[in-house]
Amino acid sequence: MKTLITLNVNNEIHEILVAPNQTLLEILRDRLALTGTKKGCDAGACGACTVLVDGEPYLSCILLAVDAVGKRITTIEGLSRGQMLHPLQQAFIDHGAAQCGFCTPGMILTAQSILNDEKTPTAEGIRKKMAGNLCRCGGYNKVVEAVLSAAEKTAATSDPRLK
Amino acid sequence: MMLPKFAYREPETIQAASALLASVSDARILSGGTDLLVNMKNGFVTPSAVINLKRIPGLNAIRFDKDGLNIGPLATLKSLYTNPELTAKLPGLAAAAASVGSYHHQVMGTVGGNLCQENRCFFLNQSSWWRSSRPACLKTGGDICHVVKNSTSCFACYHGDLAPVLMVLEAEVHLTGGCGVRSCLVEKLFSGQGQIPLTLQPGEIVSGITIPGKSMTGRCGYHKLSDRGSIDFPIIGAAFWASGEDRTYRICLTAVDRKPVRAEHAEAFLAGRDLDEGVIRQAAALAAKAAHPVSNTAYSPAYKKLVLQQALARVMRQVMGGPQS
Repeated sequence: MKTLITLNVNNEIHEILVAPNQTLLEILRDRLALTGTKKGCDAGACGACTVLVDGEPYLSCILLAVDAVGKRITTIEGLSRGQMLHPLQQAFIDHGAAQCGFCTPGMILTAQSILNDEKTPTAEGIRKKMAGNLCRCGGYNKVVEAVLSAAEKTAATSDPRLK
Repeated sequence: MMLPKFAYREPETIQAASALLASVSDARILSGGTDLLVNMKNGFVTPSAVINLKRIPGLNAIRFDKDGLNIGPLATLKSLYTNPELTAKLPGLAAAAASVGSYHHQVMGTVGGNLCQENRCFFLNQSSWWRSSRPACLKTGGDICHVVKNSTSCFACYHGDLAPVLMVLEAEVHLTGGCGVRSCLVEKLFSGQGQIPLTLQPGEIVSGITIPGKSMTGRCGYHKLSDRGSIDFPIIGAAFWASGEDRTYRICLTAVDRKPVRAEHAEAFLAGRDLDEGVIRQAAALAAKAAHPVSNTAYSPAYKKLVLQQALARVMRQVMGGPQS
């Protein structure tokens, strides 16, 4: 039986009719057209579907949409401000950290969750926390460089999105 | 992969959750969902009702008191190893929590869910399509085992990381059911049966875990071997606890049998001894005899018995403060 739920996605309130067996990933992609969140393994093992739930990285393919009610959900579409990219997005471009780009939204959101916890993470800490975001192109070094660079640039910034 | 259909419930008290669970024989409890929902997608767990505990307040508390440490079933794995007091007093438990899956799983996954995770087998944890090429096994409603020929029981193996540490700490688990709350050692939670790995009675839910204060006067450690540094379940995991002055020791192994296994012969051998390298190696060899791995992972039982000795020796040296390699 479908139920009407309210989801807060990227600070926009959506009222959606969902079935209990629909995952947040399905709702984001198929109902809200937020296709930046990728469906990779669809079994909680690759990190491509990572979104932020109250600032923490969640695998949206194994999170029920009905379970996300009352939470603040952030997808990759919610990071930039219009045409102005988020510092992490810009750093990924500057460092060539995206190859095919499929894992990139999940990578950037996990990176954002790391910066939510600590302003100046170490390369080792980044590698450890992002180890659940698989990149089959193998561009991990540039990802770590991009996150370190974004952390450096934003440590002293007044940008409220990273505070 | 679509999840199968189910009725969804969000009870507001643990008693209501227990009553719901008792009223639907195949209902399942949802906490972090990192095990349950994957198994449901793979089609071998198909509950008609899913009962989400996350709307029940207060189940994620981590509290030290005069009896020891109380952990709520919905405390996340991340909340264990980011708790400074817990990390200082129980480094082995923090290490086990930090070794589970990836960071995402540690954020989502809970203590209760980790403890009660489904047993695993190479022939089980696959998609419905993959499994459809073989007859159904004992775990999926069939009558054969693909691992142990002619077996009438399932050999799916327990792979939890927290349970072995909780067992060497002699932690108690509190179970809320229709008749109130009962408590038992974590060890008693496991049946040793692959088909139904837990001894939970109908309607019973893990509602808390207590680590006794006297266990916190000793030192504990956990070492896990896995394919990659992230994501994977253990190839094997070894937990070790050493008391303070009276030289008693406890050893528990995971991913070597249908339940986490205490290595009692090795513990008896160690009792009263100072742990030098020779003693550590002998104890590790004795502990390997308590393990009964079968060929249901990518690794042979012989290999698992070999590496568990090395992992155990390593964690013993670490706990005793010596060099680890």
